[in-house]
Amino acid sequence: MSSAPDPSSPAARVSAMLPHELQPATTLPSVTAPEVTAPVPAQPVGMGAVLEHPHTRAEFSVPPVVQFKNVTKTYNFGESNAYTAIRDINFVVPDLPDKGEFVCILGPSGCGKSTILRLIAGLEPQHPATTGEVLVLNRPVAGPGADRGMVFQDYTSFDHRTVLDNIVFGLECLGVRRSERYARGREWVKQVGLNTATDADKYPHELSGGMRQRVAIARTLILKPRIILMDEPFGALDPVTRMNMQDLLVKLWRDVQATVFFITHSIEEAVFLGDRVYIMSNAPGTILQELEIRPADKPAKEMQREPRFQETVAYLRDQISQLEMGKD
Amino acid sequence: MPDKLASPPDRIIPVRKKSSGLAAPAQPVTTGGFWALRKDISAAAMIFWGLAGIATVFASWWLLTWGDPAETRFLSPAVLPSPGETFAVEQLRELWFDRYLLRNTLSSLQRLLLGFGLSALIGVPVGVFCGCFSWIRALLNPLLIFGRNIPVAALIPLTMLMFGYGEQQKTMFLFIASVAFVISDTANAIGDISQRYVDTAYTLGLSRRQIVLKVLFPLALPSIFNSLRLLFGLAFGYIMLAEQIKGPGDYGGIGDIINQSQKRSLREPILLILMLIPIIAVIIDRILFAIQKSLFPYQYGGGGTLNHLVNGALRLGEDMKSLVAPRIAIADFDAQRAATALTPTHSVLDAPASNGAGTSGAISAAPPEGKT
Repeated sequence: MSSAPDPSSPAARVSAMLPHELQPATTLPSVTAPEVTAPVPAQPVGMGAVLEHPHTRAEFSVPPVVQFKNVTKTYNFGESNAYTAIRDINFVVPDLPDKGEFVCILGPSGCGKSTILRLIAGLEPQHPATTGEVLVLNRPVAGPGADRGMVFQDYTSFDHRTVLDNIVFGLECLGVRRSERYARGREWVKQVGLNTATDADKYPHELSGGMRQRVAIARTLILKPRIILMDEPFGALDPVTRMNMQDLLVKLWRDVQATVFFITHSIEEAVFLGDRVYIMSNAPGTILQELEIRPADKPAKEMQREPRFQETVAYLRDQISQLEMGKD
Repeated sequence: MPDKLASPPDRIIPVRKKSSGLAAPAQPVTTGGFWALRKDISAAAMIFWGLAGIATVFASWWLLTWGDPAETRFLSPAVLPSPGETFAVEQLRELWFDRYLLRNTLSSLQRLLLGFGLSALIGVPVGVFCGCFSWIRALLNPLLIFGRNIPVAALIPLTMLMFGYGEQQKTMFLFIASVAFVISDTANAIGDISQRYVDTAYTLGLSRRQIVLKVLFPLALPSIFNSLRLLFGLAFGYIMLAEQIKGPGDYGGIGDIINQSQKRSLREPILLILMLIPIIAVIIDRILFAIQKSLFPYQYGGGGTLNHLVNGALRLGEDMKSLVAPRIAIADFDAQRAATALTPTHSVLDAPASNGAGTSGAISAAPPEGKT
């Protein structure tokens, strides 16, 4: 069990960790994540700031939500076809009282992004790590659980269940009373922007891809997971639907106050959604950079017009193309 | 809404309203007409062509066996009787009354239902275990390979030695001949369910037992049912073999009618039964398919009356279960989630429901504001 909550206010706890503000309040009015106590100030980029190095445990006083300690995953270890997906991954995602954090993992295809996510989820064959430790709330991950909900890219709706039955699946299996779980389920049908009257009794095959992902998100969030893992959930959606889903996600995750790990290879998506962005290198994947980014305060469509937003995107794009050319 | 609209790109080409009158490309490839490739035809056309096919067969049969003195026929009546002789009223009358066609058919169907039902009853659960646990599959695989490849006819003498000549032998023959296929198909249906579903179920907190019963089996069920329907058709073909010997005091079945006719050199009843078996098989197949469609509307569309019935039964089952094992109240769930969270949570969503949680809303003076 984790430690009892700190009685002092969250603002006091954050400022105790912060020796100084990195940015003037005019350009970064709402930096919410604690900054690193780095010897050299972080480099400001557009609407964010590049940290000197990924966070380490020593920089935080509260138990982190997720911590990777020298994690390496090698498939077929010791055989001729051994393949190292990630190598020496080290990072710490701090626990932010009362709000959680949105962490985006950005990197080229096949760099082990999904491996990181599935290690947190405790899903085989990625779990367990070959070497190193994966800690969730200071305890090593032993296997999957409802405290770490996951949304996959391909629409994993349970085809034999209606929308409502899909959403309440987790509650049903916990043994929650039918009338109560359906009432809660209908709230969530509404929350994710579906129609309680017309959509709730439909089967997944009658829904579009975007609607199915709404169901998947509701099915995960209804269980109030501590951590939400999203593996390119909007990768197969068209651009307009994708932006709508991004707005929906921003609206919802603040309410559920979970820490979100979001994998994407869309830079715009990472900059829009992320409070924190990890840039990964090619396989075997390592974390090259960690950025802090101002949280989204506008719908995606408007946010993406802003010069600072575009500057951040351009910066990240340069970084990644450098990685892909192997210069870095 | 954005204050200003984005400026347009360098040049916007206006959409053409009228055709510019360009000549059509010369010599288009012909695609339509009678020889149109892979084109669907209307239901009426389909029936017409189907009847034409049947008519062709009967016309050929009639031509091949036409001639007043039997010696002038192209095929002698010893090889193939004419349609007139086969469908003669006295033939039909004899088959129906003297040889008890209806009762024999029903007793054949009863055997089939018993033997194949036993196959499904045992094969499906065993197949589910095989599909879920690779070691059980490996354990049974040698037996299954043997069972699928054994010549069915070779089972006849064996089952006769083991089970005698009565109903038991016929049931067991049909069971042994089909059970390996049922197990294999069920195991494959379970194996074909994407691992994504299992992973999702794990992250929803389902136990392995729940994953088997609530994810893998229901998702594989349409495919399992489809296999059973096709295998039932296969087993129907084994009736002839199962009814080699008529047991004492029972109806021999339609297989026995054929056997007896062959012994007495009667060609007409054999032909009639041969035509009857596929007709019955098709009728049963269509009935099973209608059941299948009604059970799985999420696969085949439609109303799904049986699906509603099954769901109702499952709800009733849950109600029965709740009498024995009390259900969890949603407030308890909220309280438990609030207690296991590291930091006190404050959610807009469960504000009305989480009064029992005790920790909500205590910390944050200014809760994180949503978007405008």
